[in-house]
Amino acid sequence: MQRIALIGIAALLPLAAAAQTLEIAVDQSPAGLDPHVATAFSSAQITSAVYEGLTGIDKDLRVIPALAESWEISPDGLSYTFTLRAGASFHNGRAVTPVDIVANLERVRDAKTASPIASRFAGIKTIEAVGSNQVKLTLGEPSAPLLGQLAVLAIVAPEAAADLARKPVGTGAFKLKEWVPDTYILLEKNPTYWAKGLPYLDAAKFNIVPDAATRQIGMAGGTYRLAPAIDAATAAALKDKPGLKVLEAQDLAYALIGVNASKPPFDKPEVREAMNMAIDRGQLVQAAYFGRAVVGGPLSPALAAWTLPNSTFPCYTPNAAGAKAKLAAAGVAMPLKITINVLGSVKQVVDNAQVVQAQLNKAGFEVSLNVQELGKFVADWRASNFEVFASLNGGGIDPDDYFGRTFATGGATNVFKYSNPDLDTLMNQARAETNPSKRKTEYDAVQKTLACSGPVATLAYGTLFTAVSDKVEGFVPVATRSMWYLRETKLSK
Amino acid sequence: MTHSLLRRIGQLLLVTFGVSVLAFLLIHLIPGDAAELILGAEDRSPEALAALRADLGLDRSLFAQYVIWAGHVLQGDLGHSISTGRPVLEEIAGRIGVTLELTLLSMLAAIALAIPAGCLMAVLRGSAADALTRLLTIIGITMPGFWLGTMLLYGAGAIAPGVPLIGWVPFSVDPVGNLQRMILPVIALALPVLAGLARVLRASMQEVLFADFIRVARAKGLSEARVIFRHALSNALIPFITSAGILAGYLFGGSVVIEQVFALPGLGRLMVGAIAERNYPLLQAALLLATTAFVLVNFVVDVLYMAADPRTR
Repeated sequence: MQRIALIGIAALLPLAAAAQTLEIAVDQSPAGLDPHVATAFSSAQITSAVYEGLTGIDKDLRVIPALAESWEISPDGLSYTFTLRAGASFHNGRAVTPVDIVANLERVRDAKTASPIASRFAGIKTIEAVGSNQVKLTLGEPSAPLLGQLAVLAIVAPEAAADLARKPVGTGAFKLKEWVPDTYILLEKNPTYWAKGLPYLDAAKFNIVPDAATRQIGMAGGTYRLAPAIDAATAAALKDKPGLKVLEAQDLAYALIGVNASKPPFDKPEVREAMNMAIDRGQLVQAAYFGRAVVGGPLSPALAAWTLPNSTFPCYTPNAAGAKAKLAAAGVAMPLKITINVLGSVKQVVDNAQVVQAQLNKAGFEVSLNVQELGKFVADWRASNFEVFASLNGGGIDPDDYFGRTFATGGATNVFKYSNPDLDTLMNQARAETNPSKRKTEYDAVQKTLACSGPVATLAYGTLFTAVSDKVEGFVPVATRSMWYLRETKLSK
Repeated sequence: MTHSLLRRIGQLLLVTFGVSVLAFLLIHLIPGDAAELILGAEDRSPEALAALRADLGLDRSLFAQYVIWAGHVLQGDLGHSISTGRPVLEEIAGRIGVTLELTLLSMLAAIALAIPAGCLMAVLRGSAADALTRLLTIIGITMPGFWLGTMLLYGAGAIAPGVPLIGWVPFSVDPVGNLQRMILPVIALALPVLAGLARVLRASMQEVLFADFIRVARAKGLSEARVIFRHALSNALIPFITSAGILAGYLFGGSVVIEQVFALPGLGRLMVGAIAERNYPLLQAALLLATTAFVLVNFVVDVLYMAADPRTR
């Protein structure tokens, strides 16, 4: 009996020592922790605490210094010189050098890495290490989004590159201690982090809890202290629980209905416009989001400096009769029978599609829904093997993140096969434009063109909900879904 | 005995082969493949896709892929996981313990409670206690595991807040914590099986209790307990053993859902994840091992029969 009691006390001791471990509940295991390869949200929420880019993105979506403490841009906008943070070192103890930054950019751009973010850095002509603490990038033409895009490029220790998916080695405030598949990922404090005194936490434990109801019960019962990216229903249930609060951030990603612009009937701009007029976005937000989303145009309302008000887009006023008139003008027989491929793995998308189906059916369309499993949906999506689809699209902190790859002729994610040469010219100009007010004028025109007759009907921008215990201080959710502020998070007793 | 044993072993091998073909075909019939999912939304160039397919061996015909895979399996090589690159046996070995603990504890709990419950119902048949237990067993059988699991979590959270009931710690690290976290999943998984087994036993016990040899046993003046447990129960057990064997398969299937609800890192979670990412080698190996195990359990049940009842030899 005495022995049992002793074992019991011994078992309690490590708990007391680990009092500053933040228990986090996340819904799925990351596909891997190599930030140049695994860019899905499940990976990014962990890699954003382990790695840093030269730049970072703060809670107001501004570019801030991270691994680079400062930078200088040449007057012609073609060369960028970054000065590295003094005292920054990798988790393996080695100091970060300019040569490491060069190696990282080369690794991302190497076709063998098959990095999904490679295309963002295709415009960089030369990368060179300057002296002991500077890196110089030279571009072919100016690029306004470059500083923001560099925040996406997590800097890894080149010597650890082969096994990063399992054993990440970065420079961030936390380093990997232990990964038990489908159970948890334990990050511990990086004691040599360059920002003195940070992080406050000794450890952050990402518990993998696939079931939403279980995460909710675990938060309510105090098993977990933080749950990022919970759905609206869970957020509503946890909002009024004592000892908990729900933080909100405006999502950069948007729900959309996309069409195949290379095939009838959606090759006709009038038909695309008719679809936009037939959709009642306000009603959709009430019915499918319980009011917890924002109607927006082609850019997220989170990019306040760039977005045009919805009143700018005439097709955003619901008008079933007008939609029918447009269809008649386009010469299509009504009801126009269409099939929407629906990304079935995301409940929000299925809910949206059902509301849109009902709305379109009142305005001269006859919609059937084809709800698909993720693998099948992706296969059809990649091959542009759809008439219409319902899904979610990611965003970024710069307008170019929304437009360049998605709507340019032949763009990497232009599955719509949409081609508008005037728009292409405009988007290329805007990307290279360094004068903010000129750039704004150009993107205003892009938004006006895309909102009503583009290949996408933007439905709504959701809200990112993060549930936190009152004991958690200093955590701020960021619309990019980065866990950057974990380094400034504290746990009170 | 030897002859029928050999015949059963032959059947066993045939079924395992059939299962391997079926497992292989089913997985490859799912539209979309691993290469498309890995490249995902970002790189849509056909060259990248073709290169990755060739790399994963997905460019060959299905028949060729099966022959290559089966050849490797016969040599004891089940392949490597597409997502982690680790041998699939290692991946499975890391998970199977959780599922085995969950299913074995559930099986033990179900059998241990079903025997007294079934006997009680049979002995007290027609009484209010019998009616109540029958009603409870019907509820137990029809209750979906995921719902029951969530309700148990809510209930336990209200009654005993602060007790860790979600997730997993290895028994070797923290035996108490391990068993604590197993309580609710075992209840959720075992309850339908317990209810089903109790009803099976009640039915067969009732039949036996009216048999002549029971009357003889009573006439000899044996105690009622001895009549029921020594004479009646041992004769009523055959259908019970059969059902228990079949329900072992149910337990394995049910554990997929229960692991999801209670965040247990078992084989079920591994397989669900493997389906989503079209991790063919992992899925094929897991299916093959799971079905082989199931076929083996049924084989053992058959052998137990032969031991218990000479007529089946």
